[in-house]
Order: sequence, then C-alpha cells, then structure tokens
Amino acid sequence: MPLPERNDMKRYDLIVVGAGPSGLSAAIEASKRGVKTIVFDENARPGGQLFKQIHKFFGSKEHKAKIRGFVIGQQLLDEAGKAGVEVVLNATVIGLYQDKEIVVKTGDTVHHYKGDSIIIATGASENMVTFDGWTLPGVIGAGAAQTLMNLHGIKPGKRVLMLGSGNVGLVVSFQLMQAGCEVAALVDAAPEIGGYGVHAAKVARTGVPFYLSHTIVKAEGTDHVTGVTIAAVDDHFRFIPGTEKHFDVDTICVAVGLSPMSQLLKMAGCRMSDDPKRGGQVPIIDGHGETSIPGLFAAGDVSGIEEASSAMIEGRQAGIYAAEFLGFISKTEMDNGEEKLDAALDGLRQGMFAPKNRGKNIEKTEEGIDISRNLLCRGFIGDDEIERFPGVTHKAGVHPVIECTQNIPCNPCQDACAMHCIMVGKVITALPAVDPSLKCADCGMCVASCSGQAIFLVNEDCGDGTATVTLPYEFLPVPDEGTRGRALGRNGQEVCDAEVVKIRTSPAYDHTTLLTMSVPKEFAMKARFFKANA
Amino acid sequence: MEQELIWDLEQEKQRIMVHPILGRIEKGRRVKFTYDGREVEGYEGEPIAAALKAQGVMIHRYTAKKHSPRGIFCAIGRCTDCVMVVDGEPNIRTCITPLREGMTVQTQYGVSAEPFENQ
Repeated sequence: MPLPERNDMKRYDLIVVGAGPSGLSAAIEASKRGVKTIVFDENARPGGQLFKQIHKFFGSKEHKAKIRGFVIGQQLLDEAGKAGVEVVLNATVIGLYQDKEIVVKTGDTVHHYKGDSIIIATGASENMVTFDGWTLPGVIGAGAAQTLMNLHGIKPGKRVLMLGSGNVGLVVSFQLMQAGCEVAALVDAAPEIGGYGVHAAKVARTGVPFYLSHTIVKAEGTDHVTGVTIAAVDDHFRFIPGTEKHFDVDTICVAVGLSPMSQLLKMAGCRMSDDPKRGGQVPIIDGHGETSIPGLFAAGDVSGIEEASSAMIEGRQAGIYAAEFLGFISKTEMDNGEEKLDAALDGLRQGMFAPKNRGKNIEKTEEGIDISRNLLCRGFIGDDEIERFPGVTHKAGVHPVIECTQNIPCNPCQDACAMHCIMVGKVITALPAVDPSLKCADCGMCVASCSGQAIFLVNEDCGDGTATVTLPYEFLPVPDEGTRGRALGRNGQEVCDAEVVKIRTSPAYDHTTLLTMSVPKEFAMKARFFKANA
Repeated sequence: MEQELIWDLEQEKQRIMVHPILGRIEKGRRVKFTYDGREVEGYEGEPIAAALKAQGVMIHRYTAKKHSPRGIFCAIGRCTDCVMVVDGEPNIRTCITPLREGMTVQTQYGVSAEPFENQ
C-alpha cells in the first residue's frame, strides 16, 4: 500500500460535505451566487438516497409533489451540472478541524482542504435493534432492501418480514411487493403505526397483516434466515408468553428509524444537543442553520431527521446563508432569496406528523374528526369509519372517493381535478373534500396524482346491479381487461367476485396504472383492491 | 452452452427483469468471475454483492472469533458485514465494489480466504 501523500492544501470559499438532496441543493444556491464551492461524498454516485425513492413525493407543487424521488434526484443533478457545482465522489471526509480544515480520504490517499465556510449535509444512518439471530445473513436494513431492488435490480428476498411501521418500513414494504417479493407481515413494537396512514393502507389492502405491539423474538436459521418468531409485547415492551407466531421467511428487513450522522460536527467542537424529536445527537443551530462555530452550517437530516423534501429546502437556505456569510450577497439579497423557501419549509412542517408533534397522542384531525383507530392499530380504515371524512361523498355516476384521513402536508389532488371537485384549500394539511354537486369527468388524474394512493373513482350503481371501482395499481403483471378475480377490502380480506373492465395507462399518470373493476353494487364502498384468480 | 442457459434461468429468479415503475433494468456487459473457485457470471459495474445475491449467495464471510456467518446488511459500504477476499485482498466491501471481468471472489474466514481448519 502506498504511503498517504500530503499535497498542498487547497482552499475553497465553501466546502459541502455530502452530495445528497441537502448538500447538492446548498452547493447549487451557493454556486449560483458566485461562491467557489466543492462537494465531497463518500459514495460512488451523487444524490444520496433520492435515487432509491421510487414513490411519488408528498407536498405541493413547490415541493415537487407527485414527482417520484429518483426523478427529483435527476433534476437536482442536472441543476447542479448547470450551476457548475464540482462534486468529488468516493471521497470520505474523515476529519473536521479548527479553522475549517477538513481531511478527505480517497482510495489510499489523504488530502487536506480548507474552506472559508463549511456546510455539513451528511444525512443520517439507519438504527438497528438486536434480537436472537440478528447477525444472520438475511437480516438486512430497509435501506439495503431499497438499494438492492431499486438501484441494482436484485430482489432482497423471496418472502420478507418487515420490522418497523414508520414511513420507511411502510414505503419499503410496498416497494418490496413492486419488486416481486412477498411481504409476510409488518411488525412494530409500538401500539400505533408510526408512518402516514395512507402508506399503511396501500400495503394493508393488498393483504399484508400488521402486528402492532409485537416484535421479533428470534431470527431462525443456522447459516442464514429461514424463519422468524414474533410475539406480542406489553406496555413495558416485555414479551407476553404464549403469543408467539412463526413465519417462514428468508429475509427480515429492519426499519426502526434513523440517526443524524453528526460525528464531524461533534469533532469540530460544535455545541450539540441530544434531541429525541430530531432523532438523536444534533448540532444546536440558529435560524440560519449556523452552528456554534461561525461559518459552519448544518442542513438536512444531520440537523434533525425529516425527509428529502425539507432537506432540499434546508440545503438551499444553507447555500444562501453561506453566500451571505462570505460576503457574496448582502443581507437584503439573502432575505429576498430565502423568504419563499421559509414559507415552503413551514408548509412541510405542519400537520400531525410535523416534527413538533412527534410523540404526541393526536385523536382528532384539525377539522375535529375522530381519527380512525383501525388505521393507527391495524393499518386500514374500518368500513364503519370511512363515511365521516370529507373526501367521502356520494352521488349518481362516477365520482372520486378520497380516503385521506390524516392532516399531512399534501395537495396535488386539488390541482389534478380540472372540474374543481376536490378542495384542500389554503391550509395544505387540510383533509381533501369532495364537492358532490360538481361533475366528475372520470379522467383519473386525481387517482394517479395521489402520492398516498388514497383516491378511488367509484360508480356506486351502474344500473345493472353492479358498481365500478377504479384504483391505482403499481404492480406487475397488470391484469388484462376481462380478468376475473376477487376484490379485496381495505383490510386485504376478500370481499366479493370482481372483473377487470378497464385498464388505463398514460404518461400523465406517471407509471400508475388505473385499474377499473366491476363488483356487485353492495360492495362499492368496500372493494379497494383486485386480486386475479390463480 | 447448456450450462449458461441454466445460469440465466437461475438468475431470473433473483433479478428483477421488468419493474412496474423503473421499467426494464439496465445493466452493463455480462462478465465472468470466480466465486470460491467456481466460474459464475454477473454484470460489469454492478456491486460484487449484487452479482452474488443474484446467484443466491447469502454468506460472505465467517467472523474471526466465533466463526459465525455474515452477509449483506447495509448494502451501502457502512457496516462492513459483507467483506470478502477479492483478488487476494481481504476486507473488500463487496456491496460498493464494482464487479469486473475475471475477478476472484472468495469467502472470508476471519481475515483469510483459507477455511479455519486450514489456518
């Protein structure tokens, strides 16, 4: 191995650590303002985790809502290219020292760089839990599953048990099914589902059972995973004897949260705090993302776990702040640049899943409607609960039924409807309401635009004793028109016979197929998924 | 010739050929490499671990002290569970090391390619 060589130290106006959504956004904004910027990332490709996100994002237009994560990633790379951002890959920043000097390892060599300002955008790493057999091959992180299937086209396993019902666990469970894997069960020690109800509901309606207040007793197998035993836990997370359940699986996927990768900031001597609402050890930052060390900023998950949309906004803001710190723009120019971003970020931080509401027990929506207990504890809304939500109305002919029942910052459905049937209003977290007095054109745009896959087009009475239900379908194979099978309810149980009467695809639907099935009319408000006969 | 066809069929099972969102999965050139002395195939540029996973390989190494098996865990080069002996060099993170034609990939026992009974 050659000895590490020490080159002359290179100087940049701004050094960004991490080329994920936040770091790239920061570098773009700084570069646009004339700041000489360099970005280091330890990975072989830029974009962080964005290229593994194949679902449509939440938010509104300004947050790139209803665009899939990997497409947003490509847009960000294109923008970085245009802005002339210099990104060095396979480069691990191993030290951050006094006077903003960093040490970067590439291959077997180490280089020193000095920045007049530094933005740390290192993101987060996955948490893990231990149980008997947790080191066996076949126990993987949820991120590993996403990497294998969405980046490399490899199925993580044939039959998978998911531990963790946060958004990562829910989204990855759905993605596993899209990749052709079977999900045996979704398990969480907590008594309530941690992620968005709509993400849970789209998994539950395919027939995946949810086991809340359960966790893994042991992973079975000698050389690799051949099965798993779970059991119920009491209020103190102790196993309840006699409640064990066994599943034959070859893969156990663990999605139990993320922790900020804030080691560099700690190393540099920034003031830190241990903040469970932010996910662990985070730097104490001011309103401008600046740490206790002037000119050293933090943006994205490293300063508190959220998601990619807010990380991108925080990154852009940090880039603007750094430009002002360095004197490239005035304070007024800075304020002008970030006002819109502030509003956009604020919009994402509203609703019952907002960072400020973490750990709170919320029983009613902002509209004062009781939240579905079934949704929280079993992953689906009960047939007896659905009617109380404003997206569920009735009329003759085809009309949208919106099963969106929690206040989350998202509104593409409102823009999708050219007939203005759907109303979210100014408050982006409001539950969408359907106005039954307006005509529905049955265009399907609302169904395809809903990132939570919570919108159905229903004709409750076709006049011949049948009803039709149009649902979003993102699996292969897509059944042909005329295919007979069974309709599944919100809980994934078979409710009645069904026949596919229409399949619609369109570039405007962005890979979401619209499947219309015919069911006996008494099941119009119960049938929510289609399973072809074997 | 017959052998190759069998490999292709085996790979169909673990590889996603067409994805509902991503469409047809684009891969590099198909190349040969050796895994524990056996000639196998993968796609150039994909992580070694991905090529092995496509073959159904679960165990990448055995730990030095307890000799317990390890495989892919984080798949992003962080946990080092998936390290193997690659071209004679131990501790290579197979999940982030691109596959090249003719590579020699061996199960790692402790820090060696020699099984424990021969060490």
